[in-house]
Amino acid sequence: MPDLSPTRGLRLGVCGPVGTGKSSLIALLCRELAGRMSLAVVTNDIYTDEDARFLRASGVLAPERIRAVETGACPHTAIRDDITANLLTVEELEEEFAPDLVLIESGGDNLTATFSPALVDTQVFVLDIAGGGDVARKGGPGIERADLLVINKTDLAPHVGVDRDRMVADAEAARDGRTVIPLSRTDLDSVAALTAWVTAEVVRHRAGDLVPTDPGPMAAHTHGHTHDHDHDHPAA
Amino acid sequence: MDHVPSDLLLMLLADARLPVAGHTQSAGLEGAVQHGLTGADVPLYISARLATTVRVEAGTAVVALHHLTHALPLEPVVAAWAARTPSHALRRASRMQGRALSRLTTRLWPDEEPVRRVSGLDGCPRAVALAGAAAAAGLEAVALARLVGYDDVQTVASASLKLLPLDPAETTAWVHGALPAVAGAAAALAGLTDPRDIPATAAPQTEVWAQAHAHSTRRLFSA
Repeated sequence: MPDLSPTRGLRLGVCGPVGTGKSSLIALLCRELAGRMSLAVVTNDIYTDEDARFLRASGVLAPERIRAVETGACPHTAIRDDITANLLTVEELEEEFAPDLVLIESGGDNLTATFSPALVDTQVFVLDIAGGGDVARKGGPGIERADLLVINKTDLAPHVGVDRDRMVADAEAARDGRTVIPLSRTDLDSVAALTAWVTAEVVRHRAGDLVPTDPGPMAAHTHGHTHDHDHDHPAA
Repeated sequence: MDHVPSDLLLMLLADARLPVAGHTQSAGLEGAVQHGLTGADVPLYISARLATTVRVEAGTAVVALHHLTHALPLEPVVAAWAARTPSHALRRASRMQGRALSRLTTRLWPDEEPVRRVSGLDGCPRAVALAGAAAAAGLEAVALARLVGYDDVQTVASASLKLLPLDPAETTAWVHGALPAVAGAAAALAGLTDPRDIPATAAPQTEVWAQAHAHSTRRLFSA
């Protein structure tokens, strides 16, 4: 049964496609927040241990506070269907360190993978500029309905021919008012916006005001669509 | 709760969809493949496990079931299992699976004494946790032993689809082909009641692979 008690710390999920900067974002959060609150990290790797080792090597957190969960090449299952291995690891860290915040990194998957609300209280979906400006417009459950969408590596926009502002506007339109943070490690204002969002979620959780919500496994779609133009449907 | 036929409960416990992190396990296959085992060897690997590791696991489960249903202590059973499982990596993987299983059985059978006893046991191995589930479900010892053997074979077969991909009908044929050996092992072990009689048939090569696997950095499976 999910433990919704605010007596434990906030469980924050970070998901998104491979290479969008999930591990770097977690390292960034650890660097920014470790002085203010007690932290722990769980990583879910395809090749297990890689991300945990990256984080341990970055020296942002005591190594014993970073644990890796094997996913048997099923990163989606591990955060969504059978969350047992993750839950056991999170509970272990909570028992040992009573952290204010546990960051859970999903194995890099595809656009459809989101966390079960039975595992995390709130979740961040990470895209990056280099993945292409049209990704945000294509949507999907994480892009549209994760608690926060981060568009990472905005400093790369001029180098990869992506219109940063347009990608952010597309994301905002897809998200129906939910928060979007364009992020670059070199843009301190964007880093401040991210840490402020996370801190506010910790505060909401402590106050008992945070209700975990499911972004859903499927992209929103409509049935019985209407056309305002004529076209021929070829006979089957 | 109304009476539930035990075969339905056996199906529940044998189902790969049981949320006990089964997708993280390869029954040692990944470690074996890292050391050169090929797809053609897998049926032999399955047979070897049924003659060795599985007998330790199934024997432990059956004796634990007897101790749970006869108000005998579980500690000697756990100690006997640990003595027959020299690899630290395998003991740790089994204890992690035991915790996952206890988490589930505590939810399914919160008022059952065997489940409470098992979940109160520090470092409970999977075989003992499974015995708790079997006691709560009213399974016979032979059914429990079959469950242990069947699950091991299926774990190898499904992990092989990730590691050495081939037609899944082929891997299912391996499982089907191994069923007589599963039944034979279960029949031979079902009568055990004394921890001293649990077979001491650990497979040294499997244990060595498991130890090496636990220290490899690029693995898909927990064990």
